[in-house]
Amino acid sequence: MSLMPSIINGASMGAIYGLIAMGLTLIFGTMRVTNFAHGAMLMLAMISAYSIWAVTGINPYLLIIIIGPLMFVLGYCTQMFLIRPVLRAESDKNDPIGVLLLTAGFSIVLENLALMIFGADYRMAQTSFSNTVFTFGNSSLSAPRLFGLIITLGVSALLWVFLQRTEPGRQLRATGQDRNTAALMGINSEQTFAVAFGISCALLAVAGLVLLPFYYVSPSVGGVFQTRAFIVVVLGGLGSVPGALVGGIIIGLIETIAAQFMTASVTSVLIYLVFLIVLFVKPSGLFGTKLD
Amino acid sequence: MKKALAMVLALAMALSLAACGGSSGGSSSSGGSSSGSSAPAASSGSSSSTPAAPSGGGEKVDEILIGNLLPLSGTAASLGKIGQQARDMAVEEINAAGGIKSMGGAQIKMIYADSKGDSAEGVTQTEKLITQDEVQLITGCYQSGVAMASTEVAERYQIPYFVPVPSDDQITARGMKYIFRLAEKTSWRNRDQVAFIKDMAEKTGTEVKTWAIVYESSSWGQGALTALQKYIPEAGYEIVLEEPYNTGTTDLTPVCLKVKEANPDVVLMVAYVSEAALMTNGFIEQGVHPKAFIATSGGFADPTYFDLVGDNCEYFFDISTWEPDVNRPYSEETNKKFTEKYGYGMNAEAVKAYSAMYIIADALERAGSTDPDAICAALAETNLTEGPQQMYSSEIVFDETGQMINAPLVISQFRKVDGKMSRVSVWPEAEARPGWSAEFPYNK
Repeated sequence: MSLMPSIINGASMGAIYGLIAMGLTLIFGTMRVTNFAHGAMLMLAMISAYSIWAVTGINPYLLIIIIGPLMFVLGYCTQMFLIRPVLRAESDKNDPIGVLLLTAGFSIVLENLALMIFGADYRMAQTSFSNTVFTFGNSSLSAPRLFGLIITLGVSALLWVFLQRTEPGRQLRATGQDRNTAALMGINSEQTFAVAFGISCALLAVAGLVLLPFYYVSPSVGGVFQTRAFIVVVLGGLGSVPGALVGGIIIGLIETIAAQFMTASVTSVLIYLVFLIVLFVKPSGLFGTKLD
Repeated sequence: MKKALAMVLALAMALSLAACGGSSGGSSSSGGSSSGSSAPAASSGSSSSTPAAPSGGGEKVDEILIGNLLPLSGTAASLGKIGQQARDMAVEEINAAGGIKSMGGAQIKMIYADSKGDSAEGVTQTEKLITQDEVQLITGCYQSGVAMASTEVAERYQIPYFVPVPSDDQITARGMKYIFRLAEKTSWRNRDQVAFIKDMAEKTGTEVKTWAIVYESSSWGQGALTALQKYIPEAGYEIVLEEPYNTGTTDLTPVCLKVKEANPDVVLMVAYVSEAALMTNGFIEQGVHPKAFIATSGGFADPTYFDLVGDNCEYFFDISTWEPDVNRPYSEETNKKFTEKYGYGMNAEAVKAYSAMYIIADALERAGSTDPDAICAALAETNLTEGPQQMYSSEIVFDETGQMINAPLVISQFRKVDGKMSRVSVWPEAEARPGWSAEFPYNK
């Protein structure tokens, strides 16, 4: 039995898990806030992209021009108007439970709004390349998954360059390391948080558009990916962007390869098992620093 | 004070009834209690049946009350509504044609009760239908769970209960005397899926040996697996892969790859609509190429399924009990009439509900009485081969457990008709859409 088809397909799906997890890890790394509305925001990106696609029929990847900035603004505003007041009120506490509840509540609001407007039906964008399949030897990979893999790798590289080489990127990292010291150096931490939130949502816009040509859209689609994203973030190391990508690919590979040796309903148990082992052996995750 | 009095009276009544039941045989006790309870109804001037002295032939009755338990609110409300509309249309037709002639043209009156799709509420509403509305017969239910619970009540009160839709095998497996079920048993669908493949393989001279079963891991999928583990080996085939997956999983590609590796002749699928779509697209993407794909209704029969998968599902088979294009008497005209009346077409459940009213009317006609035991006896002797219920099945006969013995299952194939994917009935050949036959083996 050849494992090549499993490896190729698992890596392509895993890269998308990684892309979704990147936004989550960025918010956590900068703000120390776990965003429970992450899945719902992915759903929002997918539904709005689907709606525009259904009317215009243009290539979904081009929609990044519209959905990307829209999601950035949504993320920016969420931080500015929803999270900032709660974060301020809880600034003297060690673990801000209020923000967790706020994001969880926000996800319920978003999902029910989507149910009201979009309905509970499942839809899928049947694009011109949705059914194109590339064959390498005995393995097949559909065009949307291959493009998804390429786009994900490209966007991760861009994000890495942004964080390492640009001034706003340095500010993000500095705030993540120590927000008080960063503030003393003249960095506006609230502004930085809002930018982090905006970038996180823009990454979700990319992930949503990558999923659109081969995955179904429904108000419940966020929950499907959110659990995976949380595991990936902890596995890769809280706050680590390369960790999210590598963690995502690892989860995708485990899921696909293990399914060839055991029933598919058991592989999710295996994923949690690997997750627990990593927590035991290296609690900071694969790429985490000892400081966390 | 009043409360205490009421309690004493209730206690006295219960005692007297118990004494009555103890002193006489089972059937006469039911007769006694039913005449006792109808007396106050008549004196209060209610419009319910006026029990005349039973004469030799049939009694003269103005109205026959039939209780209907349906999920009219809750998640299955839309399904309850279409069931109600189908029943109403049948009853209108029966009443307009002169009602129940052996009872002097008695009219059927429907009394609806809302089960909310909940077993406990179903039990309460069934009690209410029997004790307050004093119906002569109960029909209905959509969910098997509600049917299991509410039929217990009817059996206890010895009131006939006609179940048109729920398909759980257990409903008619409990030795109850007053329960009749029109729907097929769940396991019969799996039996007929296997029978269909066997028939096609023999007719086309295709060699079929191995099966893969891909099923969702909850009770529905598990039930199908149990039935298939019986029927597939019985037909001389081998199951090479049993693959469960969890509903709500992110990616089904691993499952599709596994099926490809097992390389079976037949792929049998049990899925809700989201996984049905992921699975269909995954099989095509990965180039899985068996001799047949066969689905078990559910997600594959969902109206949105074709939009989700496009042409990928071409030549897949699915099983159901009725299709709008099925070649059966009365099917086309009844569906047309229903569509004109309510603005949308019938589904398999509506057809079962509609047919049920004609079968009940036939039994009432032969019983010539509203006595529950007489109706029960008439239902048990049903042998109907003529009438609008032929759109469901050409011959209605019940076995000793009250189960309708002819499962009118139909296999449809997803085919392009005028450039659009449609469900085309292909098997049994006598009921196929005229001019169409099954494309077997799968050759896309």
